[in-house]
Amino acid sequence: MLRVSAKTNETEIDIQGIGGDVDSASQGIPFGSELMQFAEALASRDADALLQSRQALLDVAGSAVLVDAAGVAANFQRMVRIADSIGIPYDAASSEMGQEVSEALNLTAFASAENTFAQSG
Amino acid sequence: MQHFDYHSAGFPIRPDIAETYRNYWQQLAGPGTWWTGPERVAIAQEVRNALTCSCCAERKQALSPYTFAGEHEHSGVLPERVVDAVHRIVTDQTRITQAYINDNADKGLSKAAYVELVGIVVTVFSIDEFNRALELPQEPLPEPLDGNPTQYTPAHVSDDMGFVPTVAVDGTVGEEADLWPAGFAANVIRALSLVPNALREWRDVASTQYLSFARMQNYGQEDDRAISRMQMELVAGRVSAVNECFY
Repeated sequence: MLRVSAKTNETEIDIQGIGGDVDSASQGIPFGSELMQFAEALASRDADALLQSRQALLDVAGSAVLVDAAGVAANFQRMVRIADSIGIPYDAASSEMGQEVSEALNLTAFASAENTFAQSG
Repeated sequence: MQHFDYHSAGFPIRPDIAETYRNYWQQLAGPGTWWTGPERVAIAQEVRNALTCSCCAERKQALSPYTFAGEHEHSGVLPERVVDAVHRIVTDQTRITQAYINDNADKGLSKAAYVELVGIVVTVFSIDEFNRALELPQEPLPEPLDGNPTQYTPAHVSDDMGFVPTVAVDGTVGEEADLWPAGFAANVIRALSLVPNALREWRDVASTQYLSFARMQNYGQEDDRAISRMQMELVAGRVSAVNECFY
């Protein structure tokens, strides 16, 4: 979805930001590195990192951005658990963009990739 | 008491967020499709217990979660099999398998009851995560309400994907007509549709935390959001990657 939204907005981004690279996260995306680090700290349950990244995001972007970022991060803490606990396959796994992103981020190394490839035969 | 009073949060929080969470807390307290109100609230409590459960922490490190023997730390309200499902979804969801779901179904935790349980777990978890992200305290759980589960089953289900039956792509007719707009039958949206209210409940929360199904088609900037779609997707992608979610 990041690729699609960047393409729609004619913005050059670096997908490795999703993999945790700070410089990549900031390419083309305002407050990208702070947003990425905030999301990472929440999902990894690192309390110190969450404290620091929350403050960093608040300092550079303000409370409205922080609150909306918290909502999106919380939403995807839910969505990943829906996907994995029901074992659903990824709809676009065979699409060119899906394969490109999967390869760039080495997503097939994840255990839950089995839910896609086992069901697609 | 007024749930989700964010006035003392230290910074403004959009009022629709508190309102949506309050609505969900009301739904959580009442009887569902396969679980009573007290059972639904007990499931919510286990979401919180899972995060401090030493058995879950040790099992997460085990090569296989299915060969690890241990006892969960829980409230003692729900059967061990149900507790295990809740804790697993919170702490070790990437290793849930079809065999695990089938074994649970054979031993009394039906696929439909499991789907409703998943809906409660993930929705409560996401609300708790929102508060944790902003360093706000966990909201006290609601007082459960009396009443019997409806045991409602949708008319048009399919076994075409995932570990459980789901409403078919073209099955949004009759009582299920509102589940998703035409063309929005992504697998993750269909995932909990065996219990339509489970989908409706998380859909409402998702519309507030992220975007409604209809607004997902807009890849630009929404007027009532402080972050653009690209910023949202960066956050979403990093959360998914840390969780090792292929989907």
